[in-house]
Amino acid sequence: WKKDEFRNCNQTPFCKRARARKPGSCSLIARDVTISDGDLVAKLLPKNPANEEDRDEIKPLILSLSVYQDGILRLKIDEDPSLGPPKKRFEVPDVIVPEFSSKKLWLHRLSTETINGDAVPSSVVYLSNGYEAVLRHDPFEVYVREKGSGHRVISLNSHGLFDFEQLKSKGEGEDWEERFRGHTDRRPYGPQSISFDVSFYSADFVYGIPEHATSLSLKPTRGPGVEDSEPYRLFNLDVFEYIHDSPFGLYGSIPFMISHGKSLGTTGFFWLNAAEMQIDVMGAGWDAESGISLPSEKSRIDTFWMSEAGIVDAFFFVGPGPKDVVRQYTSVTGLPPMPQLFATAYHQCRWNYRDEEDVDHVDSKFDEHDIPYDVLWLDIEHTDGKRYFTWDKMLFPHPEEMQRKLAAKGRHMVTIVDPHIKRDESYHVHKEATQKGYYVKDANGNDFDGWCWPGSSSYPDILNPEIRSWWADRFSFENYVGTTPSLYIWNDMNEPSVFNGPELTMPRDSLHYGGVENRELHNAYGYYFHMATADGLVKRGEGKDRPFVLSRAFFAGSQRYGAVWTGDNSAEWDHLRVSVPMILTLGLTGMSFSGADVGGFFGNPEPELLVRWYQLGAFYPFFRGHAHQDTKRREPWLFGERNTELIRDAIHIRYMLLPYFYTLFREASTSGVPVVRPLWMEFPYEEATFSNDEAFMVGNSILVQGIYTEKAKHASVYLPGRQSWYDLRTGTSYKGGMTHKLRISEDSVPAFQRSGTIIPRKDRFRRSSTQMVNDPYTLVIALNSSRAAEGELYVDDGKSFDFEHGTYIHRRFVFSDGKLTSVNMAPTSPGKSRFSLEAVVERIILLGHPHGHKSALIEPTNHKVDVELGPLGLQWGGSSAVVTIRKPGVQIADDWTIKIL
Amino acid sequence: YPLHPKDSIFGIAPEDEKYYKTSSDLVSCKDGSKKFTKAQLNDDFCDCPDGTDEPGGISYVQPMKLEVHDISLIALEIGLICDIVPEVVIANCCDGSDEYDGKVKCPNTCWEAGKVARDKLKKKITTYQEGIALRRQEIEQAKLSLAKDEAELSKLKNEEKILKGLVQQLRERKEEIEKAEEKERLLKERKEKERKEAEEKANEENNKAEQETNQEIGKAEEKTYSDEKATESLHDDEIGVLEDLPPDQDVADENDESAAEAEHGDSSGNERSLVNGVEENAAEAKEESSVLPDSGSKGNDISENTEGLSKEELGRLVASRWTGDNTAKQTEEVDDAKDRDHAEHEEMPGGTHDEEYDGYASETDNENERYDHDNDDVEDEIDDDFREDDHDDSSSSYISDSENELDLSDITTASNPSWLEKIQKTVQNILRAVNLFQTPVNQSESAHVRKEYDESSEKLSKIQSRISSLSQKLKYDFGPEKEFYSFYGRCFESKQNKYVYKVCPFKHASQEEGHSTTRLGRWDKFEDSYKVMIFSNGDKCWNGPDRSMKVKLRCGLKNEVADIDEPSRCEYVALLSTPALCREEKLKELEQKVESMNKEQPQSRDEL
Repeated sequence: WKKDEFRNCNQTPFCKRARARKPGSCSLIARDVTISDGDLVAKLLPKNPANEEDRDEIKPLILSLSVYQDGILRLKIDEDPSLGPPKKRFEVPDVIVPEFSSKKLWLHRLSTETINGDAVPSSVVYLSNGYEAVLRHDPFEVYVREKGSGHRVISLNSHGLFDFEQLKSKGEGEDWEERFRGHTDRRPYGPQSISFDVSFYSADFVYGIPEHATSLSLKPTRGPGVEDSEPYRLFNLDVFEYIHDSPFGLYGSIPFMISHGKSLGTTGFFWLNAAEMQIDVMGAGWDAESGISLPSEKSRIDTFWMSEAGIVDAFFFVGPGPKDVVRQYTSVTGLPPMPQLFATAYHQCRWNYRDEEDVDHVDSKFDEHDIPYDVLWLDIEHTDGKRYFTWDKMLFPHPEEMQRKLAAKGRHMVTIVDPHIKRDESYHVHKEATQKGYYVKDANGNDFDGWCWPGSSSYPDILNPEIRSWWADRFSFENYVGTTPSLYIWNDMNEPSVFNGPELTMPRDSLHYGGVENRELHNAYGYYFHMATADGLVKRGEGKDRPFVLSRAFFAGSQRYGAVWTGDNSAEWDHLRVSVPMILTLGLTGMSFSGADVGGFFGNPEPELLVRWYQLGAFYPFFRGHAHQDTKRREPWLFGERNTELIRDAIHIRYMLLPYFYTLFREASTSGVPVVRPLWMEFPYEEATFSNDEAFMVGNSILVQGIYTEKAKHASVYLPGRQSWYDLRTGTSYKGGMTHKLRISEDSVPAFQRSGTIIPRKDRFRRSSTQMVNDPYTLVIALNSSRAAEGELYVDDGKSFDFEHGTYIHRRFVFSDGKLTSVNMAPTSPGKSRFSLEAVVERIILLGHPHGHKSALIEPTNHKVDVELGPLGLQWGGSSAVVTIRKPGVQIADDWTIKIL
Repeated sequence: YPLHPKDSIFGIAPEDEKYYKTSSDLVSCKDGSKKFTKAQLNDDFCDCPDGTDEPGGISYVQPMKLEVHDISLIALEIGLICDIVPEVVIANCCDGSDEYDGKVKCPNTCWEAGKVARDKLKKKITTYQEGIALRRQEIEQAKLSLAKDEAELSKLKNEEKILKGLVQQLRERKEEIEKAEEKERLLKERKEKERKEAEEKANEENNKAEQETNQEIGKAEEKTYSDEKATESLHDDEIGVLEDLPPDQDVADENDESAAEAEHGDSSGNERSLVNGVEENAAEAKEESSVLPDSGSKGNDISENTEGLSKEELGRLVASRWTGDNTAKQTEEVDDAKDRDHAEHEEMPGGTHDEEYDGYASETDNENERYDHDNDDVEDEIDDDFREDDHDDSSSSYISDSENELDLSDITTASNPSWLEKIQKTVQNILRAVNLFQTPVNQSESAHVRKEYDESSEKLSKIQSRISSLSQKLKYDFGPEKEFYSFYGRCFESKQNKYVYKVCPFKHASQEEGHSTTRLGRWDKFEDSYKVMIFSNGDKCWNGPDRSMKVKLRCGLKNEVADIDEPSRCEYVALLSTPALCREEKLKELEQKVESMNKEQPQSRDEL
């Protein structure tokens, strides 16, 4: 890690200035409060300007509060456009989904109320059932409170740290330039940062604001007992060999924070702003000397947000449950779409699979070793000299044939397309982009020229919708020669990475569409590439094929366009460990489809680490093995018979659970609730789970605990809840609500099924997920103490958008009173085509059911089948015998009941 | 969806029929885990974890484990076992086409595939049959060569012993002569000096006063002193500088002084630049830390100073972190040099860089030299005339540097049995002749002794180096039957694209591109019972492992290298066909395989 290459807060003037400010230094008050166009609007101006000159200098800011359905409050603060600011400040377009505006509640009425003996009354508006939003006029403060109790939930500027640097014209002799390591940022508009404090009440922990390689619950960065720490930085950067446990900003940024506490539940705060952001989490007592005392002092968490540019466009989410907050957030920024089924299976990647022979070889080795996989990836070396959309003709002379060979086994290919375009006159993409003026400009207005893989490169100005459309067209089969319908795309380096730029990225004074500076847009640049690429694949498939695009950079809303991964990690145990909080944090902030490179990108993992990584990675939403060019080959079969077996077993588990995973992806695409979740999302009242980031939930039914140390013999696993848990492989039951010290074997990482749940599985192994379509199902029912359980299964064609028209199967399985019932959850309006699937249930396993029953009656066919003892998983030799309904033979898509006799 | 006919017997191997056709209704799983009813036989549900109950396979069968040459065997085994994992069963369709397209109908290609496999097998057998004959010849030849080498070695050792004695005697004689000569010289000198002193004394007495004389002598002495010193300081900068520093040194006369000064000036110049260097570094460090007040960077952290680099250099440098590309090498080096400046203040910036650069530029040459050296081995140095020939040899595609031949021509052949005797005689003559000491020493005689000594000792060293190379060679493991004996001193070449790969068993493996050579590894050992040759510790890979090469050997009629590949970065593999690997056991195995295939094929065909 090259620390010196990156700016710290002290080298970042806006951050340094903001951090130096004292609580209570904001002197703004709200005036002229009215209702206008359904919003509450007001002016913010200094209470007592020091002198008349200042009064002219400081123009009032415009504040507006809007209320949306489902408990969402939006606060905007900007300069008053009617007062002629030098430039319109940047508001990030295209992130808020269009549907969101239709959820706005038009405010008609505003009540005023004098609270806690304030000299001036505050304005109060209705927010949602049980919540109100309050604008305190003097001093200016915005907060949400519970209606009856008046308890605060979340507030802004309670510590008076709000500051808004307004754009000015440059005065005589004023030097606005900033220099860093030989790079000069001209800053033609001078200082324009914004900062403020946000407080979360009755919060035990705060989470979110990816991407950092750090713990799930965010540790304080300032305050008593906190060692000199950087704030959490949000600035998309290509960081070489990043270190774990650091607040340093990585490849993506989502300025969304979630608080959670036992008493009040969960709340969220999202600031839609794409400029560099720095966020401090304050340790308790940081404000002891400020003289500010806030109501409900108990377990409040204060945070401090600083951004270099843009406006205040902030959203408050009232929860009150964790899933509510995620739903509220994704109602603003969008839901993750249904992925291609194949994309939820195992991906095999390496920098680089060299040539067609290599691809063929690796592919056949998977078959030879009975290891299923779905996607083979090609990194940058497959191109003709890093000219994306081309092939190295020596190494890949027959790309279409190569893809067809994979496709014949139901497998897919992904190629990389990065945003830097080689400046080479003979390269058609460059030629066209130059002619059309499609590149980002430098501060002088010339095409920005930076260094990346191909050498001298330029970068499409993807903020421009016209250029996005052009970019999308590059992916058509005509334009991207040598591609077939089974090929999908990987967007790397889209922070963007510029090897010779400041902090390895684009200079902040580079210019985008509409005169927007990169400083204002920076964190969303990769987002637009992800968007345009995904759109390109949809176009390519004539709207009938779901896109798959993996991106490294991301921003709020990226969940709408595909998957992300945690970038260039290392083959170290600590990186295995930190992958879990990183992925959980992404999930909390909408990015459900994420994963870390299994095995670690840099370095050579010991076989044990690699095996443990596969065992854990099999539960990542995005499951891909990847490795750096300089590392030894590490395909699953290269570490001896035993390790091959262990890795095969880990990958098999993923394939068995694919029906369950796919159902969870469906849940995410309709509710925003991520595929993998922190324990507290499922157990929000159990404090023991709040900072647990070694274990996680896959959906609501499976708990997985990683093994993060070498030669581990034991692991302490906390199993939450009052119900018991069943070991996923052995069926052994464990009590909930306590920590178990478990003996660990090399066979697997600890994983448990929560009682009261039903998991659909497919136990037959194929080359790839697409070959499993008609395979029979196994249902694993873990009964709770009242011998009941329920679960769901969602199935569609795994590929098209037909499901949007109701062409899918969605079943709910309910077990109670000794009876399993399958209920339809899909809408059955006439005229809609039903998804037909000829697949049966071949086996039903009952955990926690007494032995001794001999048969079961199936309705409506009224036939009897055997009940016997069988293995929980056929390939797990050691598992104990469990109650099994043998060959019920019912169609998965039908309504039926199975009664144990 | 059941794919196969509802025949519960389907897929049962003839020899297993008894196992399933028991009188009882229950059949045990072969692993003993449980029993199943006959109704559960081939009912498309795996009751036995080992699949005993589903010999016919279950729907959506999957032929994961197929390799083409196994297909004919698979054809036999269709449906026989729940292979691999319990529910995964061998294909109904050998090519798995039922699974690939999700369609059930598929052509039966098993027999065709089996035929191909059998033909291939037969071809292989033919190769083995011929190869085995070649191998036998090879082994015979190896035995002869080995015997020859051993004989030569023992003979050479003998000769060495004798020659050593002679050389010793000659040396003693030579030393005696030299001693005598030295004595004569000293005597001469003393006489000369005495003569001079006498003259001087006469002069002094005649022309000068005593005091003056003393001064004069003093000066002369000093002069000698500082002369010596100047020479010294020319040899060694440091001492020069130190000794010049004391101020009470102005006695030396003009010439000396200026010489010393020049010397001093030089080194102080160096010193200054060194000091400047340090200061610059310090300044740089300061500058950086003023830019980065909080970086807290110490030591190496700060060392990658990229500010001086051009935009392009910077880009390359950063890119090279990921790639270790050669394109980045130069900037990388500059950077390295800078690193070192910061870290080790003793080093002079300019010097470091030059050295580094030289090292880089001459790398290729060194490489070649080393390569030649190793390739030709020590004995070739004995006779320069042969070197060239050898060069030509090594660039041909089928190489033998035939060192044995060469060497014999030099020592053994050129010198038939009598050469040693001749020398012996000559030496005896000399010793006898010079036995009687003459003063002054007879010039022609001493020259004769010297010449004879030089020649004999040269011959001795040739013999010794030949001995060492022979014994070196004989130390190697040439296989259980010495079948790899002829590999010694040979290289096998293969050209792939722009590279020429050379595999020289017991020496090294390399990759040549134009004039540059990359060493892929030095000979390490055989592995896997002589089926693999390992070359390790090759040239270092940037940011990666040292290069290494694994040469897999297989039976072939010619010694040929092929299929060179780099499956993992800097880890090469190659295939070497050679008769040495055509072993009889393996042939027998193959013959049995083809026999069993022919026997069982027709039956299994019916089943399909």
